[in-house]
Amino acid sequence: MKKSSMKASALMMAAAMMVSAALTGCGGSGSAATTAAADTTAAADGAVTADVQKIIDAGVLKVGTKVDVPKFGMQNTATGEMEGVEVDLAYEIAGKIFGCTAEEAKAKKLVAFQGVTAKTRGPLIDNGEVDMVIATYTITPERKETWNFSDPYYTDAVGLLVLKDSGIKSIEDLDGKVIAVSQGSTTKKVMMEYIAEKGFNVTPEFEEFDGYPSMAAALSAKNVDVFSVDRAILAGYNDDSTEILPDRFAEQDYGVATKLDNKGLADLVNGVVNDLKSSGKMDEMLKGWGIE
Amino acid sequence: MAEVLGTIFTKANIGFMMQGLLMTLVIAAATIALSLFFGTAVAMIRHFCIGRMVWLSWLAGAYIEFFRCTPNILWILWIRFTMQGDPTVKAIFACTLFTTAVVAEIVRGGLNGIPKGQFEGAASQGFSFWQTLRYIVLPQTFKSIVPALLSQVITIIKDTSFLKAVDIAEFMRNSSIVMGQLRTPAQIITLYGFIALCYFVICFSLSCTVRYYQKRTKIA
Amino acid sequence: MIKDLLDVKRWEAFFKVLPTEYIPGFVVTLKVALAGLLLALALGVIFGMLSTTKIKICRFIARVYVEFFQNTPLVVQVFFYYACLPYVIGGRVPKFVLGVIGVGIYHGAYISEVIRTGIEAVPKGQFEAAYSQGFNYLQTMWYIILPQTMKMILPPLTNQALNLVKNTSVLAMIAGMDLMYHADSWGSDRGYFVQAYLPCALLYFLICFPLARLARYLEIRAKRTPVPKKPKGVA
Repeated sequence: MKKSSMKASALMMAAAMMVSAALTGCGGSGSAATTAAADTTAAADGAVTADVQKIIDAGVLKVGTKVDVPKFGMQNTATGEMEGVEVDLAYEIAGKIFGCTAEEAKAKKLVAFQGVTAKTRGPLIDNGEVDMVIATYTITPERKETWNFSDPYYTDAVGLLVLKDSGIKSIEDLDGKVIAVSQGSTTKKVMMEYIAEKGFNVTPEFEEFDGYPSMAAALSAKNVDVFSVDRAILAGYNDDSTEILPDRFAEQDYGVATKLDNKGLADLVNGVVNDLKSSGKMDEMLKGWGIE
Repeated sequence: MAEVLGTIFTKANIGFMMQGLLMTLVIAAATIALSLFFGTAVAMIRHFCIGRMVWLSWLAGAYIEFFRCTPNILWILWIRFTMQGDPTVKAIFACTLFTTAVVAEIVRGGLNGIPKGQFEGAASQGFSFWQTLRYIVLPQTFKSIVPALLSQVITIIKDTSFLKAVDIAEFMRNSSIVMGQLRTPAQIITLYGFIALCYFVICFSLSCTVRYYQKRTKIA
Repeated sequence: MIKDLLDVKRWEAFFKVLPTEYIPGFVVTLKVALAGLLLALALGVIFGMLSTTKIKICRFIARVYVEFFQNTPLVVQVFFYYACLPYVIGGRVPKFVLGVIGVGIYHGAYISEVIRTGIEAVPKGQFEAAYSQGFNYLQTMWYIILPQTMKMILPPLTNQALNLVKNTSVLAMIAGMDLMYHADSWGSDRGYFVQAYLPCALLYFLICFPLARLARYLEIRAKRTPVPKKPKGVA
């Protein structure tokens, strides 16, 4: 009798261990809530809102950027550092939050970059892995229902990259062709809209991929006929064997996305973007990276 | 050929891929350690919970079956997108979820092979249930399942390549980024050969260990 | 996560795409799994037999096949076929074919090992006895050796079939139009991850769970020692 009850308690303990481990695995949400509550008092003595104060307390701004878009967000494989205009923009915002200049923010490593793809950027804002996403993120009415977007800092259009020897000269040649698009991007939707609007008689097939390198590889191996994303991204994958078709459609604006609840942070970000635009610094930054 | 190798295997590219390989090994090692612990716990619950506690055994059984019967990549995606926390930690958590189920099955198989009489024998010598487990049953169990566990280690190392789908900076993902810079078939085929070779060297040396162990225990 | 789970609007959205995305994806997964299993069985039997012959070069070839495909990830293999086969055959390879050769060759290596162990477990004398009766090698294998190994190799074979079904999901990474691809694509499009992944998990479970039960049943049956039938009328 005694033996069996001891056995039972031992097994209960094992079970409890499993459950507690499963709970801590989900991690973070509980502790995040308590810090947020404590911050409301800290925010009372200044104009800093609770969501911004939380970042100040953390001592680091977590920003999601692309790691594979040259000139916008690119990880330098030699140094491991992030480079690009969106990276610079992240430092400007960090400077505003932590009350220093962008250069100081960079020197003090106040920004922690997290690589995102078209697919992961949305969910990663929601699950708190990043505070904001600056990753060639197009502002759309549907997305605005889910996240806060700043005013646009750059306007781009969708483009089409093909192999030179494919014989494809314009969007009208795309009937029955396979187009590689990015998961979680607007490309497929806007292209179908553009085709319908212009009344072209073409029905392409779409295949979704999880990252640009996979799409570039699929194009080189001729697994797809067209690689279609925003022109800014395409430029980084254009070389001797490929060409970007003259078609450009669906002008779209890039904005900085933040979590819908974090209104204070969204206002601050929007302020930084608008200051940079009105002072002409945003144009300088874009020019500095050779972006038209 | 030298030109092909030169474009792919620059110092930066090799460093970048090796960082990925290190990440692969770290994730695999953490997953193995955690799965071994939780897998043993789940297997014990499944095996020993009888009578009033039988529902716990059913719960463990349901866990094992559910994770064994759903694709690994599904859990990797699910955990990454719907839970909070550090991406690497979540990757390890997702891998642990499905590996635990497999390890539990392996350990349960080992426990099944231990004759019931051992408990009675141990009890007659004044051993408690816990002591019997610690000193008699578990050592024998683990000894008998070492080959199966080592094979599972190989499987985990291979399974980490699924993490490319959620952009964890492991070997396959970093190599794919390098792959994105390549255009000619010769370059692409060479790089795939290199990736396969790296995995092969690690996994094959482990499987040789498995075979050596099996041979040694057979002789002994 | 619980709040998302109970969101009626999201489930309505899911039931709208169930017939257009999930069902076709499920069919693709089933087809790839079935054809892949046939290929894996064929390769498994061929290489399993090769690895038990007396001819050294055959054993070596079988060894290389098994070691190479067991010790590299399926993801790498499938990406390799996807990126490199077009150069070799000079044209696009359908995703269905990529999936079938991907899981077929990978699991063929595992099945070959299962069959090798099975054959090795049959006493050598059986071969000699069969040869003395005028059976050739293939006949001996087909009529005498393989049937005897069945009982022993069926449980691990069923487990391989289960893993094969799960592994067809690797196709999602190369836009393979299978169940996992559609679930993931729809999920990330709308951000409704729970509604996307939970039904997907259940659909895979629907195929794999019967296989898991079958494997368990066969395992227990194989362990049972055969009992001689009692002659009728004897108490």
